[in-house]
Amino acid sequence: MSALVRMRLAGFLRTGRALAPVLAGLLALGILYGGGRARPAEAYGVSAVVLFPVLAWQAKILLDVEPDVQRRLAMVSVGPAREWIAGLLAALAAGVGTVLVALGFPWLVGGVTTPGPGDLPVVAALALGLWAHLLALLPAVALGALASRALTRTAGYGVAVLAVGAVGTLALGLRGSVAPWLVPPVLTTARVLAGSLPAGTALLLSGWALAWAGVALTGYAWWRRTRP
Amino acid sequence: MRLEDVRLRYGRSGPWVLRGVTARLDPGEVAVVLGRNGAGKSTLLQLCAGVLRPARGRVVDRPRHVGWVPERFPADQPCTVTRYLTAMGRVAGLGRADTDRAVDRWTDRLGLTPFREVRLPDLSKGTAQKVGLAQAMLRTPGLLVLDEPWEGLDSAARGLVPELIDEVLADGGAVLVSDHRGETVRLPGARHWTVADGLVTEEAASGDGAVAVVEVAVPAARVAGTVARLRADGHHILRVREPATPPTPVLVPPTPVPSSSVADPSAGRPGAPATGGPAGAAEPSVGVPPPDSGSTVDPARSGRPGEVAR
Repeated sequence: MSALVRMRLAGFLRTGRALAPVLAGLLALGILYGGGRARPAEAYGVSAVVLFPVLAWQAKILLDVEPDVQRRLAMVSVGPAREWIAGLLAALAAGVGTVLVALGFPWLVGGVTTPGPGDLPVVAALALGLWAHLLALLPAVALGALASRALTRTAGYGVAVLAVGAVGTLALGLRGSVAPWLVPPVLTTARVLAGSLPAGTALLLSGWALAWAGVALTGYAWWRRTRP
Repeated sequence: MRLEDVRLRYGRSGPWVLRGVTARLDPGEVAVVLGRNGAGKSTLLQLCAGVLRPARGRVVDRPRHVGWVPERFPADQPCTVTRYLTAMGRVAGLGRADTDRAVDRWTDRLGLTPFREVRLPDLSKGTAQKVGLAQAMLRTPGLLVLDEPWEGLDSAARGLVPELIDEVLADGGAVLVSDHRGETVRLPGARHWTVADGLVTEEAASGDGAVAVVEVAVPAARVAGTVARLRADGHHILRVREPATPPTPVLVPPTPVPSSSVADPSAGRPGAPATGGPAGAAEPSVGVPPPDSGSTVDPARSGRPGEVAR
């Protein structure tokens, strides 16, 4: 299965289709950090919100790079379940790359303040940033998978799923939302990172994100049974 | 491998493409899948290969290693032939050294060596099809599924397909192959599955299914029209040969076609070339395969062979 993950990552990088989401991500981060400095943990929370649709788009692009018939050839070779998992792992790996860029970006452009007395140390801020971005990455990959061509068949439906998922995550994630549990806790995480983060809240948010991604990926696997 | 009451349709409200198919293919056997366009041949093959999942029924005892050659190789990929085959070998579970050996072997066997560093999108259709064959053979499959494998191949490469099939059979594998061009004449002894109306029926390979092959010569300029007309009449065109000599219209003797005189010694082998008589020097060739293929004509019903040429 690792060979298939490598093959898909290589295809994603060689086609140049990796460029579009990377540029979009850099643009979003540039706008985010162009306005002034913020505390690292708080900035990372907002960064994860901004990157959520980009990460979902990137996952969709990666899963769509292969021609349909090549995807089926891989399925014949390794079996359906491994083929699905290899695609998701490749999307996760590409997403981790983008997350690492997002973690380093604000330090390069001076978008965050250096920790002062009473602030979190840099390592702790980086760890919180990684946690916040991973909470966004898992649901984003799941959303990208649901929008992938294997399920949606046409570009129009794919974009629609992606747009509804991204906009819904932002709209239903606002404070006072009637059904915040319907969407991944991306905005909630950003709000929490603006203040203190109790361990219980961190666990709750982690479980929420994992559960959302799990449900979405279960749906993906279910639909892929009849959509090779 | 067995198909047990397999049903399949695309979408919940779509028509059933396969309706209760039951079939069995044992190791060492090759089955040719015949049927009209849209009958469900490719669907059946993808079901057997494991690409599609039956809506009802089940496919059991599918060999662990399956090689599938799709009808159209997906050449729109950003890598060279060597890189692609190496990646597919690794995906199939071969080690690095075994993959390299397999890639060397199959690129050599299929005449792909000059194209090893060529990018897949730059390959001709036939060469890309050979890459499709190579990827299926990198790891000797227990089941080889070939969807129109002769499509786009040149005459030299067409002869390789039966060789690959024989190798799989010799290793105890089974082979499923679809064909609408009559190339399965190269597969004597193959079982014949016909897909029609969502069902698969197996035809007897000999006896009443005797084959008559009629060779007809027409002026070169009228080949396309003649072929089209014969196809429209339901005849099965086996091949069209380039004229070796100035074409001279030849009429096959207007006698009823005893299968032994036309297809002998291969009575029962669809599309076996005719032997003897003026037809031996004539072109193009027009075959009349058994009545089971959906595009065939029973010799007894087709009248005199000469009528085919008129």
